Amino acid sequence: MKRNKFVVIGCGRFGGQVATERSEEGMQVIVVDAHEDSFRKLHETFAGYTEVGDATQLEVLKRALIEEAEYVLISTNRDNFNILIAHICDQIFQVPKIYIRLMDSEKEKLINKERIQAIYPYKLSLDSFRNLFQSDVEDRS
Amino acid sequence: MKIILAGGHLEADFIINEFKKSNHQITIINPDIDFAKYLSAHHDLPVFAGDPTKIYVLDDAQIHEADVFIALSENDTDNYIMSVTAKNLFDVKKVVCLVRNPNNVQVFKSLGIDRVINATNYLVQNIHNDAAIQQLSRTISLDDDDKIIVVEIQVQPTFSFLNQYIKDIHFPTNINISCVFRDPLPIIPKGDTMIKEGDKLLIVTTPVEKDKVVRFFEKNS
Repeated sequence: MKRNKFVVIGCGRFGGQVATERSEEGMQVIVVDAHEDSFRKLHETFAGYTEVGDATQLEVLKRALIEEAEYVLISTNRDNFNILIAHICDQIFQVPKIYIRLMDSEKEKLINKERIQAIYPYKLSLDSFRNLFQSDVEDRS
Repeated sequence: MKIILAGGHLEADFIINEFKKSNHQITIINPDIDFAKYLSAHHDLPVFAGDPTKIYVLDDAQIHEADVFIALSENDTDNYIMSVTAKNLFDVKKVVCLVRNPNNVQVFKSLGIDRVINATNYLVQNIHNDAAIQQLSRTISLDDDDKIIVVEIQVQPTFSFLNQYIKDIHFPTNINISCVFRDPLPIIPKGDTMIKEGDKLLIVTTPVEKDKVVRFFEKNS
C-alpha cells in the first residue's frame, strides 16, 4: 500500500495548525484526538478527516490509516503518551517519518533519534529568549 | 534479590506484605506523597516519593542495582514508560508491567517488555481452562456417598497419547480405564489397547483423585 498520508495525533493549537497547513498544501491529513471538542482548533480550510479515540490503541490508529501514513506528528499534551505512541508508530507500524513533541527533554533518551525526530518547546523558548535578551544587551552597549 | 515496586496503592501494599516474608530487598517509589508516607510509616523499607516515569527519580532510587522492576501504577501508559526506562536506560534484568487494558498486553510485549500482566486476561484464561475440562469430562457417581466415581473423558484429536497403547502411556497412579467406548462395541481395555481419536474413556476413581485425573488429561491435551 502506498504511504502518502499525514497523521496528526493530538489536536492542540500546534497539532491543529500543522494539520491545517498540510491540508492546505493538498496532503491527505487525518487528525486523532481523544476529545471531539479539540477539532474546533482546525481551521475551516482543513479538508482532511478526524478520528476520536485513544491513540495508544492499535484499532484507533488503524482507523486513522496509520498503515498508509508517510508522516506522523505526535503532539498530545503528555510526554508519556507521546513516547508510547511514537514507539507504536515506529516498531509496530513502521511509519517512515515520525515527529514528536516532548516537554521534558530528558525523555529524549527513550527515543531512537535516528528514526524519531523530537521538538522541544523548552529548548525553543530558551533559544528565543537568549536571542531577545542578547539583542537588548547589545542595544544598551 | 533487589525488587523495585513503582506506583500502585492496594497492590503495592499487598505485594510488600507478601515479599516481606521472604528475604527480598524491596525499594518503593510512589508519586502519591501521602501514600508514600503511609508506606514508609508501616514498613521498614526505603521509600522514594516521586514520579517513577521521571528518569531522575529512578536514578535516585538506584534502580540500576535492581534485579526486578515492577510497574504497578493505575495508568498503563505510565507503566509502559517506567518499564521501558528501567529496561533500556538502567539495564534492569527483569521488568514486570501491570496493565488495566487487556489490549495493551500484546502491544507492550511487542514493544519489548518481557512480562505484561493483566487481570482480565487471567480471568478469561481461567474460564477457558474450566470450560475445556468440562467439555471433555463428565463425572458420574456410583454410590450415594460419592466414595467412588466414574470420570468420562472424550478423547480429543489434540491429545498427546493418541494412537498409543495403554501400557505405554504414563498415567498417574490410581487411574484405571475401565471401558473404552468405540463404535461398534465398547472395549474392556488391556495394555495392548490403542487409544484412538473419538474414543470415550470411562475411568473409575475416587473423588480425591478426580482432579488429578482431569489435570492429567488437560496437561496432555
